[in-house]
Amino acid sequence: MSTLLKLEKLNYGYIDGGFRREILKDLSYDFEEGTFYTILGPSGSGKTTLLSIMAGLDKQESGNVYYQGEDIDVMGLNNYRRNKIGVVFQSYNLITYLTGLENILLAMTETDNKIPGNKKELAYALLAMVGIVESKADRLVTKLSGGEQQRIAIARALAGNGDLIFADEPTGNLDSETEQEIIRIFRMLAEEYGKTIIVVTHSNEVSKLSDKRILLKGGILRDL
Amino acid sequence: MNAFQRAYRYITRKPTKSMLLMITFFLIGNLVILGLGISQAADNAKILTRQQMRAAVSYEVDYEAYWRYTESLTDEDEINKAYQNYPRTSAETALKLTEDNRVKAFNYMTNTIAYSKDFENVPLGNEENRGNSTYIDENGNEQIYRDPNIMIYATMFPNMIEIAEGTFTITEGSFISQNDIDQGRNVVIITKELADQNNLHVGDTITVSTIGPYEVDMYREMGFTEEDFSWELEISGIYNTLNEVDPNSQEFQWMPPYQSPKNIVVVPMTAYSEVMSSFAEKQFRYYQSQNPEMTDDELENWTSGYTEPSRVVYLLNDPMDVEDFIADHEGDLSPYTKLNANNETFKKLARPLDTLSFFANIVVWIVIINAIVIITLVTALTLKTREYEIGVMLSIGVSKIKVVLQLFLELILIALIGFTLAVGSGSLLAGKVGDMVLDYQTTSDAQYEDNSDNGYYWSGDANYFTEVSQDELLSQYHVSVSPKLIGEIYLLGSAVVLIAIVIPSFMIMRLNPKQILLEQN
Repeated sequence: MSTLLKLEKLNYGYIDGGFRREILKDLSYDFEEGTFYTILGPSGSGKTTLLSIMAGLDKQESGNVYYQGEDIDVMGLNNYRRNKIGVVFQSYNLITYLTGLENILLAMTETDNKIPGNKKELAYALLAMVGIVESKADRLVTKLSGGEQQRIAIARALAGNGDLIFADEPTGNLDSETEQEIIRIFRMLAEEYGKTIIVVTHSNEVSKLSDKRILLKGGILRDL
Repeated sequence: MNAFQRAYRYITRKPTKSMLLMITFFLIGNLVILGLGISQAADNAKILTRQQMRAAVSYEVDYEAYWRYTESLTDEDEINKAYQNYPRTSAETALKLTEDNRVKAFNYMTNTIAYSKDFENVPLGNEENRGNSTYIDENGNEQIYRDPNIMIYATMFPNMIEIAEGTFTITEGSFISQNDIDQGRNVVIITKELADQNNLHVGDTITVSTIGPYEVDMYREMGFTEEDFSWELEISGIYNTLNEVDPNSQEFQWMPPYQSPKNIVVVPMTAYSEVMSSFAEKQFRYYQSQNPEMTDDELENWTSGYTEPSRVVYLLNDPMDVEDFIADHEGDLSPYTKLNANNETFKKLARPLDTLSFFANIVVWIVIINAIVIITLVTALTLKTREYEIGVMLSIGVSKIKVVLQLFLELILIALIGFTLAVGSGSLLAGKVGDMVLDYQTTSDAQYEDNSDNGYYWSGDANYFTEVSQDELLSQYHVSVSPKLIGEIYLLGSAVVLIAIVIPSFMIMRLNPKQILLEQN
């Protein structure tokens, strides 16, 4: 399998109480296509920071992030977020005055990637794939349960037709049954649709179901 | 799901916020319509009145300014010098102005009163009321005083305003021609009434005297002969005049016959100058013989009044060009001369409207500035509660420009609704408030000001400025919401929203999606 995302000598730190705290130290790692990764690590180890840098939401102090060999800084972070990746957050981060369907359509409208066929039909299909029926898709997202909102968030991450999905503690607010269902969706996306899934999590249950488990500790990543 | 669709959904799904903002725009819209409506109605009333007024501009000596100048002098010699060098309109300037393509016709003429010798004037109809004045002659006999009864218009150009406007229409023969003027021919055109009164026709002659019967003996003693003050003129045309005197006017009962428009005769100015200048020169020679210290240099002062026009009036094609015409030529004028479009009177009449318009414009500006501040604050405060939503949009790749665009569209859509509702209520409000303020303003003016010079009447000398009263001017004042005004409201509303969005836009540009989402998570 070829490398989809390459991290090269990433460094990141911040000043805390007058002392500089190094979060990432010359961190390098290659993520392969069609693989479901989980990143584990103790609290404060920098998991969310690393995910933010990989998802183009934040910038490293030094080092490079390459997507399919292209530096994402050169590509433009906004362009990268819009066309190459999808992000799923712990608290879903959906637009509350839109319905589930409209949240998906928003991502579809923004991407420069070609969306095959009718956008609305495709959005319904994506939602159906993550277990949201039409009647629920047409409701305002605030009228849906946490699990349903997270499914919509996953569908939205797929709507841009990117090959890479990041998820930051996606099951943190969900019960164990729903957690299993969400993990099942991620696995399906990796196995059946060839998506690369990178999930930051505390949960051993989640990590057990991933293809590769990585530990972030001391500012570097190592396979478990 | 583009920015417009998102904006529409935000408005419809956050009805309370939208409603509050809409009410703000509605109130702002009402005040702006109130201000603009009143201001436009005042301006329109002035424009409509101006359009109905004759587009006449008079080139004349600014007596008031020159009087102020002489009053300011203290040195005796300077005062004498000022009176000897009385300001005059320049023939060169007057002719240059005729070349302006806005000029439709012009009167370059002088006028004088005279006495009919071998014909009767047209009676005014007030003769019985006026009665006769008497004087005692040199022999101690009581004589009846005879008023001048003919008004002579001496024109330098055939393209007179009265002809161009159709006030004078030739019924027989022809008007004074350029050839008559160039040749200095002793021809005259007279009114139809004057011709009928005396059974006169084209080709007949009339004789006028430039001095009154009571002066004849005096001039004879001075060495003048009958020929010196008698002027024989051949009738080249008979015209009909639309000018009438107002028999109900206060002045009518005392009006001398020469003030009747029926007693106006028109002659070439060159012929008039010849006759009058030679008469003036003879007078000068007589007084010079009595006062040997008088030099020939002073002769010009005696004759110039007859060789230069006393009045130059231009009639423009469009009344709306009057202000520009004056502004364009003011720089060409010699000191203490002016171009007068009767603006002072018009301005005085229009003062209540100007005051109304002035305050209405102030209200508009205050409202606009307040609106910008209020909308900026409301948007900035709303933005704080929408940071999360913006962070989400940025995280999925929506550009900051599109976020600002959505915000702008939300405001503009709400503003459109608010202003549309305000168009209805604002026009009613503007009508009522505008009438109230105008009533108060005109009542105040009437209480404290003397408007006695607002009216015009026929005084023998043609008044080329249209008679207009304040009531006529104010009757043109109607507050209505015209399509132009509606357009302006929407344009202004868009500008307010555009300016109000600037600060919030900077706030959005500074937002960092990671920071927002981390805080939320």
